[in-house]
Amino acid sequence: MSVQTGRDAIAMPPPSSRRIDRARVNISRLRNDPNPVWMRELKQAARLTRTPVILAVITGVIALLMCSVGGVASVATEPAKVGTALYHVFFSLAFAVVTWVAPAVAASTIASERSGRTWEALLLTGLSPATVARGKFLAALTYISLYIVMLVPVGSLPFLFGGVTATDVIAAFALLFLLGVLSVAFGLSISSQFASSAVAIVVTLLVAVPTSLLAYLAGGVGLSFAAHELWPQVSAGPPVWLPMAYSRADFGVEYLTFLVAAPLVCVAIPGWFLYEITLANMAGVSDDRSTRLRRWFAVSTPLLALSTLPPLAFDVGREWRTLVIGVTLMALFAVFSAFVFAGEPLGPSRRVRVHWERRGAGRVERFLGPGVMRAATLGSVLTLGAMALQGGAALLAIALRGGAADDATRVVAFTGYAMAFTLFVFGFAAWMRARSQSGGVPRVLLIGALFLAAAGPFLAMAIAGILSDGGDIALLIASPSPIYPFVLLDTIAGGDPETRQLALMAGAVAAAGWGFLGAGLLTGAATRTRRVVREHAASIAKVETMLAAEEAAADAPAAAPAEASSHE
Amino acid sequence: MTVPAIRVRHLWHRFGNVDVLRDVSFEVGQGEIFGFIGPNGAGKTTTIRIMTTLLDPMAGRVEIDGIDVAIDPDRVRKIIGYMPDHAGVYERITVREYLEFFADAYAVPTVGIVDAVIELTDLGNLQDRLVVALSKGMKQRLGLARILLHDPKVLILDEPASDLDPRARIEIRDLLLELRELGKTIFLSSHILTELSDVCTSIGILERGQLVVAGPIGEIAERLEAQRRAQAVGLAEGDVPPPPSQSFAPPVAAPLETPGPDPAAFAGAAPTGAYFPAQPADVMTTAGGADIPLAARKRLKLRVLGDSRGVVPLLAGGTGVLGVEPGPGGLLGVAYTGDDRFVADVVRHLVASGVGVVGVEAERNELERIFLEVTRGDLQ
Repeated sequence: MSVQTGRDAIAMPPPSSRRIDRARVNISRLRNDPNPVWMRELKQAARLTRTPVILAVITGVIALLMCSVGGVASVATEPAKVGTALYHVFFSLAFAVVTWVAPAVAASTIASERSGRTWEALLLTGLSPATVARGKFLAALTYISLYIVMLVPVGSLPFLFGGVTATDVIAAFALLFLLGVLSVAFGLSISSQFASSAVAIVVTLLVAVPTSLLAYLAGGVGLSFAAHELWPQVSAGPPVWLPMAYSRADFGVEYLTFLVAAPLVCVAIPGWFLYEITLANMAGVSDDRSTRLRRWFAVSTPLLALSTLPPLAFDVGREWRTLVIGVTLMALFAVFSAFVFAGEPLGPSRRVRVHWERRGAGRVERFLGPGVMRAATLGSVLTLGAMALQGGAALLAIALRGGAADDATRVVAFTGYAMAFTLFVFGFAAWMRARSQSGGVPRVLLIGALFLAAAGPFLAMAIAGILSDGGDIALLIASPSPIYPFVLLDTIAGGDPETRQLALMAGAVAAAGWGFLGAGLLTGAATRTRRVVREHAASIAKVETMLAAEEAAADAPAAAPAEASSHE
Repeated sequence: MTVPAIRVRHLWHRFGNVDVLRDVSFEVGQGEIFGFIGPNGAGKTTTIRIMTTLLDPMAGRVEIDGIDVAIDPDRVRKIIGYMPDHAGVYERITVREYLEFFADAYAVPTVGIVDAVIELTDLGNLQDRLVVALSKGMKQRLGLARILLHDPKVLILDEPASDLDPRARIEIRDLLLELRELGKTIFLSSHILTELSDVCTSIGILERGQLVVAGPIGEIAERLEAQRRAQAVGLAEGDVPPPPSQSFAPPVAAPLETPGPDPAAFAGAAPTGAYFPAQPADVMTTAGGADIPLAARKRLKLRVLGDSRGVVPLLAGGTGVLGVEPGPGGLLGVAYTGDDRFVADVVRHLVASGVGVVGVEAERNELERIFLEVTRGDLQ
């Protein structure tokens, strides 16, 4: 039932485990019982007079710009080229509007509830964080969809000139909408962290603007060259290549991998993460804020590892290069995960434990639950396993194609070093968290440690004046830096046998050092965490006993006369 | 045995290095209106935030209708209605839309509940007005309407009448009494003692994070009076009960060094519900030998012309007179049992005896007197 829409309650069918039945119920619920937060936000937005003004101004400005560009360009250039240029200009502008406006709009949603002091009332209604987040998400997405819809007529202007097909335009708008989804999810996750809308908007824009520019340059302009290499029909250089590639690229495994699976993974994994982070930020400190994030990690890590394997099939003869890209991505993902997990509590709260007991939670569920050691263990095992898988696949590809021995050495050296350093990262994050009261300090120290580890050896060399000589001592000093494996790749191929041997030896020693240090830190963190959790549990048990004793003492006088009268 | 509507046991909380709550324990029975009093910074709002599941207690137990707020916050939220101090509202929607939204959020079973709540809170004339256009008093009323939508058993109101004009205050007070008639338990925090004394059946006074007194107002007044009397009859120093602010405080352990429950804090704590020391007597005996329950005892302040000591024999031993205390400047304190007719009889009797009565004053508001007596008034 929805009071806001005036719809009466619908008769719900009996519970069913079939997915189709549950989907049917959910659709019915969506129609008859829409998200209350979304409904309320829409009512409020409808009364906001500035919305149509802003929409009209943005549309007008972009239309004028497009007409000006089209008018000027069509004087000296053939229409088809003008149409293509307008297509790129329009969707570049639309990209900026969506990736800047959508996060900013979403950033104010949850934070404004806190700053407007309506958050507590909302929380106490019993609405789950997921319902509130979905309502806020839908509200912001509706708003940004209005922008996209308003831009549709302007986006159709390139048709007047030719050079682009309807499929190109439809695909571009679909991708724009997908970007809007991701941008709104990003803004919402920032919003859930802050109590002031102004701060949330500023932080969101500070992150969103450079990230979108980087994505535009790397994913747009940069990847267009790679796409051109794979499909010559796709132009190299223009930024909006992806929607055009759908109608121009040859259908096959590459098409499905890079134009269907990769964009979906690129949206789904971050989108899912942002959703889970939003929910975790909205939940109480004693709630289970870990399990859902851990599930995301458990699914994303293998998915990410698997998504780096198909290029091994295409990059014949340069498998090691594909491996380096894949393992680097995985290592960055591991560092990011360690950063996220550094905010874990030391162990599950009393509330979480009681709820586990009530529903008879199994070992797997408990392992995915709150606890920094659980997080560090899962993080280490999965990322190291993923790297081993990447390395193994690369070695297999090299062996099957009879690749060079140097390539295999590169794969082993790079993957081994990355695995050891990743273990250190998880160990350091867990150890710091085990010794801190909150997650803030470990995160700051983790950034500091990574910077020191990466730049420290090079700074030491610069101070010693041996940075430029590239000699044996330089190699030895540089070996603890996580940048060293990249240096190692060149040395393996180009160095003289002695230098190569030394470089490999230095790399192995440094990797072993990081590995042992990481394992030691993990062990230290585990010991301390166990002690703290044990003490906490003992203290709770004592309190329980005392409260029970107190209750028994209070009940005793009341029970005594009743007992006496029964004897009489 | 009936489960108390609210049960707070040995509650501790700390912000930074400051213990904002120290071993706070009290109970609120079903259907009571409990006034929670304390100076700014005493820890009232922290207690309320813990009770309403918005803050996790560092130690101790809080139960609402028998449900532990730390374990089952979702279940607690279904049975409480919390109106915070200076709560915000969604401004660009109408009063009805606002209530409809919360009705959906609370998942109320029928659409008609919104109409019922609008009628109960007398918001009918305002239902199509934008919330932004409402006065402070009307917004408070709307807030109250919001927390009634899901028909909660326990209402927790933090300073509901702050910043309201007298009319709005009276309206809120009447509404609270009406809600009590409907069987709601109301937990009310306020600075305005006269307002609380009009509606509360029991109170708790919090000072510097410690509960200095809790219980029914009449009972607390009697305890204090008994102590005063014990002191007045000249008990030996060691026999005199300590001042209320010490004697009523629950035993306090050393502050927790680290967040988390400290079992040592409970060592020697009084059993739940026993927050008063053993009292010397529950009745007082009149000159005629009749036992008068302390609950029936009242005080009257008279001002007469001349020396009041000469008037004492005229009243002492009279029907309903429990005690007469002369004071300087013609002041005369009379403890009595009875109603207003007793006051009229005393005045008539004195005038007939040739005593010039220049003033008759009921004793200071009882709640104010208790508050002043049990708190120290230090800066918090």
